[in-house]
Amino acid sequence: MCRVIKVTGDSLSPIIEEGDFVLVLKIPFFFLHRGDIIVFRHNTYGLMIKMVEAVSRDEGTVFVIGTHPFSTDSRSFGPVPKRNIIGKVILRIRGRG
Amino acid sequence: MLYSFLKALENRIKFEEAKAHCDIPCGIYDPITAQIPALTVVRMLDLMADLENKGGEKGKEFHNTFSRYVTVKEEHAEKAKHEIRVIWGDYIKAQHVEQYPELPALTHKIMQAGSKVRQTTDRQAAVDFVEAINQFAEIFWATKNVKTKRAKAPYAPALEMVYPEL
Repeated sequence: MCRVIKVTGDSLSPIIEEGDFVLVLKIPFFFLHRGDIIVFRHNTYGLMIKMVEAVSRDEGTVFVIGTHPFSTDSRSFGPVPKRNIIGKVILRIRGRG
Repeated sequence: MLYSFLKALENRIKFEEAKAHCDIPCGIYDPITAQIPALTVVRMLDLMADLENKGGEKGKEFHNTFSRYVTVKEEHAEKAKHEIRVIWGDYIKAQHVEQYPELPALTHKIMQAGSKVRQTTDRQAAVDFVEAINQFAEIFWATKNVKTKRAKAPYAPALEMVYPEL
């Protein structure tokens, strides 16, 4: 239901930085909105963390992006189906500051 | 405190990792790549002054060495500008500018200072170039919540440099 996950990579900087921990809660798809940070599983990249740019309720997918211009996200691999979503970040535990 | 607890716990259990992944090895930004070339510019000016003050014949050996110093000064001034442009373009985001509104003017100042040190042999202009990049470095590390310190470079010219306290 709730898990602690460590973040690697900088594609969500400065919202979430490399080395931060996040608390991820499994929530119903209905409660996901634009701007939420989610953790999901990708067939090629494994466990990923990105920001929700858009939710397609009809298709049951979310379009995710990073804040970095070179972020690997839905702009390159397409929308994420809801079955792959692990949960929403409800707490960020910063490494510094 | 919670972070320290999780870090301590990490020694015993392996947390799952989620990738905030990029197409390129992003996140490898460090203004030291601009600070060192800027310092090199001052060093070249000092070497040029030493050579000029040495006296003796101003023959082809003199001109060869002097031209090499000028070339390195040119290259490193441009390299420093390039590295700042990369950080400005790829790393700095709107949130950073909101947090540090002086950043655009500072970046522009570095570009102009970099051109000035190429055009002239003004040592003070080169020292100002180093200092402007130091200020940029302080802001850069502040965006990462990393404290900085100022210390003299351990090589000539031993100017004050900004280093992260990692």
